[in-house]
Order: sequence, then structure tokens, then C-alpha cells
Amino acid sequence: MEQVGLEAVGSVTLWGLFMQAGFVVKLVMLGLIAASIWTWAIVVDKSLSYGKARRQLDSFEQVFWSGQSLEELYRTLSDRQTSGMSAIFVAAMREWKKSFERGARAPIGLQMRIDRAMDVTLARESELLEARLGSLATIGSSAPFIGLFGTVVGIMTSFQAIAGSKQTSLAVVAPGIAEALLATAIGLLAAIPAVIAYNKFSADAGKLTARMEGFADEFSAILSRQIDEKLQPRAAAQ
Amino acid sequence: MKASLATSAALHALVLTWALVSLGSPESFDVADVEALPVDIVSIEELTQIQQGDKQAPVKDKAAPVPTAKETPVENAENVGDSDVDLKNLPMPEERPRDIETAAAPEKAEKVVQTPDPKPVEDVKQEEPPSEPSTEVAALPEARQDVAPDPKPDAAPAEEAPPEEAEAEALPDKVPVPAMRPKVEQAQAQTAKTPERKKEEKKKQEKASSLNESDFNADEIAALLNKEKASGGGAKRSRDEAALGGKKTTGGSKLTMSEMDALRGQIQNNWSIIPGLADAAEVRIKVTMQLDQNGDIIGEPSVVATGGTESARRALAGGAKRAIMKSRPFRGLPPEKYDAWREVVVNFDPSDMM
Repeated sequence: MEQVGLEAVGSVTLWGLFMQAGFVVKLVMLGLIAASIWTWAIVVDKSLSYGKARRQLDSFEQVFWSGQSLEELYRTLSDRQTSGMSAIFVAAMREWKKSFERGARAPIGLQMRIDRAMDVTLARESELLEARLGSLATIGSSAPFIGLFGTVVGIMTSFQAIAGSKQTSLAVVAPGIAEALLATAIGLLAAIPAVIAYNKFSADAGKLTARMEGFADEFSAILSRQIDEKLQPRAAAQ
Repeated sequence: MKASLATSAALHALVLTWALVSLGSPESFDVADVEALPVDIVSIEELTQIQQGDKQAPVKDKAAPVPTAKETPVENAENVGDSDVDLKNLPMPEERPRDIETAAAPEKAEKVVQTPDPKPVEDVKQEEPPSEPSTEVAALPEARQDVAPDPKPDAAPAEEAPPEEAEAEALPDKVPVPAMRPKVEQAQAQTAKTPERKKEEKKKQEKASSLNESDFNADEIAALLNKEKASGGGAKRSRDEAALGGKKTTGGSKLTMSEMDALRGQIQNNWSIIPGLADAAEVRIKVTMQLDQNGDIIGEPSVVATGGTESARRALAGGAKRAIMKSRPFRGLPPEKYDAWREVVVNFDPSDMM
């Protein structure tokens, strides 16, 4: 009799543990595996896009400070799809052009408009950088709890089963608990990389944004000097 | 994003397959069918209250050593055995006598005459019945074995004396005092010699005499050491069937419940309890007294009453004291357990006596 009972407990391989788990626990495990897949998708995506953004910033800075005329640079960049610093540059130059084509008079108003345009572009760019980092943080903080939930439910059901079987030998108790603990293990497996990746990527995003902000300020200073130089003679002429 | 999602999914699929394949069922613990460890709970009493008995014998109510062959009791013997002198070491069979040169025998016989007192230690070493006690005849057993022509005429008649008689007379004389040996005179040492040891003994005697005459000689310490093999055994006789016990009795035995109850009964017989004393049922009385070997009380018994009211306590404590003084000396206490009742504590519950 007892031998039969022990065999009915089933295998203790990972697959066996998963298959004999209850519905809720299975759902939790699948959800956690999905979360883990999503986490790693974000990790791959972000590390690629951040690397690309960093290279673009480097090359743009090199071109910008090479002494090339800003008009020429604007002409080459305005046709392309831009991102990062070049997007900020293009937005500022576009605003400058528009103002001059219409014959702007007030230097302070022009300066404010250019700054506003650059701010908006900067915000859009940094938002792009930080996109999906939020879900990493969510997974990192909630996956352990979800796994714990699966464990608690699994242990509850296995204790209910033990109460039903009226046996308390360890061989009866152990598989249910091992199966339940698998849920917590998967939760931690999803959460740990998520937390690490979130910390790393948010720091990286902060650094890139700071670089863009620095550029925006510098460019704003350059344009303001230009405005003064161009508008002063006109004002003097009048 | 799609590309990275696909990458991630593929990665997970890989890892999961690997985990399912290689992280299979962990090896189950190899649990041998181990019998439960037998644990004996040993109370300190088993060490302090050991009674003399046999270590291999089954447990019985009264511990007793293996019965001895001889029945003649030896006074104050502590170790069980058939020996005539009480010794701690185990009896060891002596080696068979070897061929012995007989030349020295006559000289010894002459010396023996002067010394009536035999040397005890050497007696014990012999398995043979000691024949020394009959003063001059000590050398005779040797003579029987090897020294056929005994030059001494006086010794001849004594030779015929049966060893059993000699033994019976000898017993009281012997005292197990090994320390005496160095002081023993030459002649004494020679008396009880077994033939095989003659040579050795001769040397020793010479050395001993040199000791007596001059001084201690450090170079000859080795010669003074006892090289003889121990052979002994106790002299305490045992008649009971062997039962589990230690080598010797280490502590006083406890009074049995019936002995204790007999003692309590003697006090209760003399105790006139006032009937109807309020709260008497709640009083508990503890009597501590010291007894001498006759069962009489040494000093004052201490009576402590607890519980109940003050008046009941006083009345019952006084009654107890009077009862104790009246019932002394106590009878029926086993004298061999005096250690156990030298100081005895008796508890009374007056509610039982009403």
C-alpha cells in the first residue's frame, strides 16, 4: 500500500515538478517565465540601443566641434532621421531659420523659443532612452512576490492533500513543497536580472541625458551669441 | 524590440531545455536502514551505588560475585576470591616449576629455623597451599620436589605434616602488607620459597643483607624491584549465585522502601496524634536525624513542619519530636547499610496517620 503511495508521488525532475503543480502555480510559473523573457528582451534591446546612442553622440560631437559651418551641418542633417544630440541641433536650427526667415526682431523672444524647442526635443529623446525601464523595475520588485504567492498556494494545496491522505511521512510532504518552492525560484530568477539591469540602464540613461543637456546648453550659448551679433547691427542701423 | 524579444525567447528556450535535460532529478539520498541507536540512560547512582558482584552475570535483586570454592571466611576481606590473603590483583596461575639446582637448599633450611614468621607476600604468590606457618618446616615443599636429601633432621618429621592443617593455622597470621617486604630478614624471605625462585631469592637476600648492613645503593635499585609475576586474588568468600555488579562496592546502598517504612512505622507507633486538630491534613513534617550504629539518635533530631496553620505546625512538630525520642533506638535497620542511614530523612504526612 505504502509503496503505491510513494510511487504516486511522481518524479522530482523539473518537468515533473511543473506538471504536477496545481493550476494557479502553473499560471504563476508561466507568468514569471514570460516576465523573464520580457526582462531579457529589454536587456538586449537597451544594451543595443544605448551603445548605438553613445556612438552617435560621439560622432556628432566630433563633427560639431570640427569647425564645420553650422548651416552646412544643418543642411546635411535636416534630411535624415535624427536622434540624440543631432535631433536637438536640428530642432534649434529649424527654430532659428524660421525666426530669421520671418524677420524676427526681438532677440530675447528668439532665444526663448530656441531654448523651448531644444527642451522639448531633449525631453523626447530622454524619454525614448528610458522607455521600458519602468517595466524592468516593476518586474524586479514584484516577481519575488508573485513567486512567493505561487509557493504559498502550492504549499497550501499540498498540505491540504497531506491532510486528505492522512500520512505525514517526508516522502509524501517533500514533492509538494519542492514543487511550490519552484515558483519562488523562478520568481527570483526573473527578478534578480531585472533589478540589476534596471540599475545599470537607468544610470546609463542618466549619463546620456546629462551629455545631451550639456550640449543643449552649450549650443544655446552659441546661438545666443549669434543672435546678438546678427541683431545688433540691424538695431544699430535703424 | 521584436528582434530582442525573439533573442530573449530563444535564450530562455535554450536555458530551459538545458535545465530540463541536465538538471534532472537530483540523486536521492542514500538512506541505509540504520537501526535506532540504543541509548542507555546512566544515572550517577550506577557509579556511586555499585554493589559487589559479577560483571557478566545477569541482573538480580541482590548483586553477588561468582561463588568461591572455599568457604572459610577471611576477616575484612574486600576482594572476592579463593586466596587466603586479600589481594587486589586477579588470580594468575603460576608457571610450572622448572628444574632447579638443589645445592642451595640446605643452607636455607638452616636459616629457616630461626624465623617463625613467614613472609606474607610470597605466600600469596604461590598457588600451592602454604606450609610455612609451622615455623621450621617452611622449606619442606621445596624439599619434596627437588631436595631429596635434606640434611636437617629436625625438618624431616615436619615434612609429613599435611598442608591443609598448616593452611588452617596459617590463615590468621597472614597479613597482606606488601610494603613490609624490604624490611623482611633474609631468613623469612627464604622460608616460603618455591623451588624455581631459589636463585633469585638468594641474590635478593644477599642484597637485602647488604642494605641492612651498609647503605642504600642506587646501582642496585633494579635488583630490588619486584620482578615476580603477580598472582593473587581476593580472600572474600561468596556463596550466592553470581549476579550483576561491580568489582567492589563503591557506595553505601540505599535503604529499601520497606526498610524505610519500618523506620517510619516505629516512629508512628509512638506518635499520638491529637484527633480533630484543625488543618493537620495540610501539614508536612520532615525529620532529619543522625543515628549511630545501634540505631540511637546522635544529638537532636531536626523537625521541620510546613503548611497548615501555625498552631497545627507547632503541635505536630512537637508530637513528632516526642515520638522520635520515645521510639529510639530504632530496630531493624540493616547494619551493613549503615552508610545509608547514618543520616536519615523521614517525611510524614499526618493526614495518612489519622
